[in-house]
Amino acid sequence: MKIGSFGYLIREGAKNIYVNRLMSFASIGTLVACMLLIGSSILLSMNVNQIVGYVEQQNELTAFLEDDVTDEEAVEIEEQLREIENILDPVYLNKEAVLKEQMSSMGDAADLFEGLEGEENPFPPTFRMHVRDLSLLTSTIMKVSDIDGVVKVIGPDSVAEIVTSLKKAISQCGMIIVGVLLAVSLVIIANTIKITVFNRRKEINIMKYVGATDIFIRLPFFVEGFLLGLISAMIAFGLLWVGYDYILRMISQNPSDWIQQTYASMIQFKDVAVELLCWFAGGGVGVGVFGSMVFVSKYLKV
Amino acid sequence: MIEFVNVSKVYKTGTHALNNFNLRVDRGEFVFVVGPSGAGKSTFIKLLMREEKPTSGAIYVNGQDIVKLKRRKVPYFRRTLGVVFQDFRLIPNMNVYDNVAFALRVTNVPGREIRNRVPYILGLVGLAGKARSLPEHLSGGEQQRVALARALVNNPSLLIADEPTGNIDPDLSFEIVDLLSEINKCGTTIVMVTHEHDLVREFNHRVITIDEGMVVSDDRGNGGYYLE
Ligand SMILES: Nc1ncnc2c1ncn2[C@@H]1O[C@H](COP(=O)(O)OP(=O)(O)OP(=O)(O)O)[C@@H](O)[C@H]1O
Ligand SMILES: [Mg+2]
Repeated sequence: MKIGSFGYLIREGAKNIYVNRLMSFASIGTLVACMLLIGSSILLSMNVNQIVGYVEQQNELTAFLEDDVTDEEAVEIEEQLREIENILDPVYLNKEAVLKEQMSSMGDAADLFEGLEGEENPFPPTFRMHVRDLSLLTSTIMKVSDIDGVVKVIGPDSVAEIVTSLKKAISQCGMIIVGVLLAVSLVIIANTIKITVFNRRKEINIMKYVGATDIFIRLPFFVEGFLLGLISAMIAFGLLWVGYDYILRMISQNPSDWIQQTYASMIQFKDVAVELLCWFAGGGVGVGVFGSMVFVSKYLKV
Repeated sequence: MIEFVNVSKVYKTGTHALNNFNLRVDRGEFVFVVGPSGAGKSTFIKLLMREEKPTSGAIYVNGQDIVKLKRRKVPYFRRTLGVVFQDFRLIPNMNVYDNVAFALRVTNVPGREIRNRVPYILGLVGLAGKARSLPEHLSGGEQQRVALARALVNNPSLLIADEPTGNIDPDLSFEIVDLLSEINKCGTTIVMVTHEHDLVREFNHRVITIDEGMVVSDDRGNGGYYLE
């Protein structure tokens, strides 16, 4: 393809957007709205992750067994623990091991436990383990408690469960939002291209019989989709930046200690700006180009 | 130049538009194609420009079997043709110059060549003074001459016209065919479908009559002879 005709095609694509400006405006508007929603849910879940990150470190469970559980019986209990999917590497400590652990953790005061070995040992045999998914904490604790020989299970605060469930819900909603909006964007782009094809059917028909190649006929639509996606990405990115900074400023002005602490761990927009811009531009251009290419062959029987 | 060998065309609707159609047109000929409505004249034109493919048979243009032509090669084949239709098919928001230049712009012709060719062709069809006019400000005859200029601008060896005078006054029709005859004298092969028998009588060109999808007569102009 010659440079001259390349310029021609770019001009044609840009002209399509202008001639078809009502529909272009509608599709840019929709794309911007979609990207804003997607961007907001990404920022929200990034912040939630940041804030609750430490909660997830607290994922240890301790199960106390009946005092008379033997080492052989413990092996069976361990097997049952391993069958629970949400349990990670259970470790068995028998009465002596727990006592030793307690003594070593007491350091100099270890002699307080003097004479507690054997029959006098007050500590029950114990399993220590980790929970894979904190949002399933309650049901996991119940499953462990149900095992024969387990007396009591101690785990992290149930707040952890709420927080991680929330986080999971947010990221799942985010995925659904992204999916739905992607579909909406494609439909919109498809319609815009359909209208352009309709508006230009005469020219396209003439192009065909004077011998323009398929690629030549399609390229302006490619350019149109590309530009629609890119323009939308730029606008959405700018709006998101302004909006997010505004919200951060509001939060930082709130005198509450709790909110100030939260603010300290929130993400600053400029830290994720480049990454977001790449995603927006890539996503916008991708949807635009994909939409125009797929639908142009549907509406344009070349 | 053109050869149709046992060509049949059945549309998806079941209409038999051409039935075992045979025809040979040599380089440099001027051929009128006449026949009643629905005879298959436009179908013949569509097959000739590879807008449709025949159901059976072979079609050769310039020694090339255009039925077997790959999709990708069709645009390059069309660049060797010029086509004119009854309804002109000009782009309404482009002026005369741009309408003609369009055919070159969309086929990768360099700008310098476009600036040379377009005024030359507009002069040839007698529209040099109307280059900046929009189609809606031109008469039917002028609009058809713009379409003719667009068909000729890439210097085709074959010009195909489907009822080019169908929408214009008889006087102006005569001018158009006169112009086509001049172009024919410079070596371009011309196939023109028409309903106007007066026009056919005025010019001494070969006349092919199609009826029910077959060639029913082939009048060579001087005396002539009949097929079948
Ligand atoms: N795309 C199509 N699909 C189905 N049938 C068609 C199609 N084009 C033409 N036909 C049918 O094929 C037959 C021949 O049509 P064609 O257009 O070739 O006639 P024609 O000789 O050009 O007529 P006219 O003088 O009225 O222009 C007609 O019966 C017509 O209805
Ligand atoms: Mg016809």
